[in-house]
Amino acid sequence: MNYVECFRAIARHRTNEIVITSAGNSGQAWWAATRDSVASFYLDASMSLSTMFASGLALAQPDLKIWAFMGDGAFAMNPGMLMVERQMNLPNLTHFLVSNRVYGATSNAGLPNAADNDYAAIARAFGLERVFEFRSIDAIERDLPALKASNAPGHTFVVLDVEPFSDAEQKLEQPPFDGPELKFRFGRHVESVTGCDIFGYRI
Amino acid sequence: MTEKTTTVAARIADELASCGVKLVASLPDNWLMDVIKTVERDDRFTHVPVNREESAIGLCSGAYMGAMGSAALMGASGFMTVIYALTKINYTYEIPLFLMATLRGAVGDHHKHHISNGLYLRPVLDAISMPYQIIEKPGDIGLISRSYHHTRTFSRPMVVLFTRDLLRGGH
Repeated sequence: MNYVECFRAIARHRTNEIVITSAGNSGQAWWAATRDSVASFYLDASMSLSTMFASGLALAQPDLKIWAFMGDGAFAMNPGMLMVERQMNLPNLTHFLVSNRVYGATSNAGLPNAADNDYAAIARAFGLERVFEFRSIDAIERDLPALKASNAPGHTFVVLDVEPFSDAEQKLEQPPFDGPELKFRFGRHVESVTGCDIFGYRI
Repeated sequence: MTEKTTTVAARIADELASCGVKLVASLPDNWLMDVIKTVERDDRFTHVPVNREESAIGLCSGAYMGAMGSAALMGASGFMTVIYALTKINYTYEIPLFLMATLRGAVGDHHKHHISNGLYLRPVLDAISMPYQIIEKPGDIGLISRSYHHTRTFSRPMVVLFTRDLLRGGH
């Protein structure tokens, strides 16, 4: 399925989820699909750490629902993250693994063992139980609402099988925020919906 | 564990708790095992053993964005692997982060293979303009709080470096 259309479909089913995107194309695609500037943290400056970042946030704020996107290029750099995610087993975290089988942000450079990597099997091998795969927009429209609505315990891992960005899509706008601006926009939103105090630190 | 090192580990844990630290993410170094075991047993903390040190950087940075105090605990060699994550996440977004690491390769380290840490750990910290505080003896443990507060005041990462004498009780 088309990468951006996949993200548009997921965005249609979003209600109050907080979103973390990864280095690579996921930030561009989510920005194209949503133009969200407060409830999404575009963690562009980090390879392979978006779901760890999301796990810290999910642990800190268990009443927030967190969606974290990560490309398979980032996943290849740190697959052991799934051991940590399984161990933490946070019910408010969904890890979307965006599988385009390339390093998308670097002109679709080749990914090791691309044809044979079975990410769902890897996740199950680490002991994850809530593992899902979407290969079409129709499947997202049909099954994501139930997946999202279920009150099942434990962490959720979803593989999105998408096509690499086209040359035109590679030119999609990057989320236009400097780091500190993004931190404060996002943090103020988290403060407003949870009542927590991120920035009012006092010694 | 000796009585002396257990006391040091307990005091480090108390110091972290006094700062509001709830999450400790760690990867082991032999010198740190008393601290890790102490934190693991202590109900004041959620201790998360991680697969690599960069994961601790991600976890603790995300916890900050949820208003949870945290500390990343690792050996000097592990610290040397996180420069990318630190500079990309914590410098780019100005997200505070408190780290604790071992001062490997310094005088008193018995392990020859830590020569690289002895030579390059502090020059690397200086190269990325990252403040550090050496904790040499039990009387210095209070500097943990001051260093933690420094990260929150300046929205930057900082590391405290534990010596062998502190963690292993001298020679």
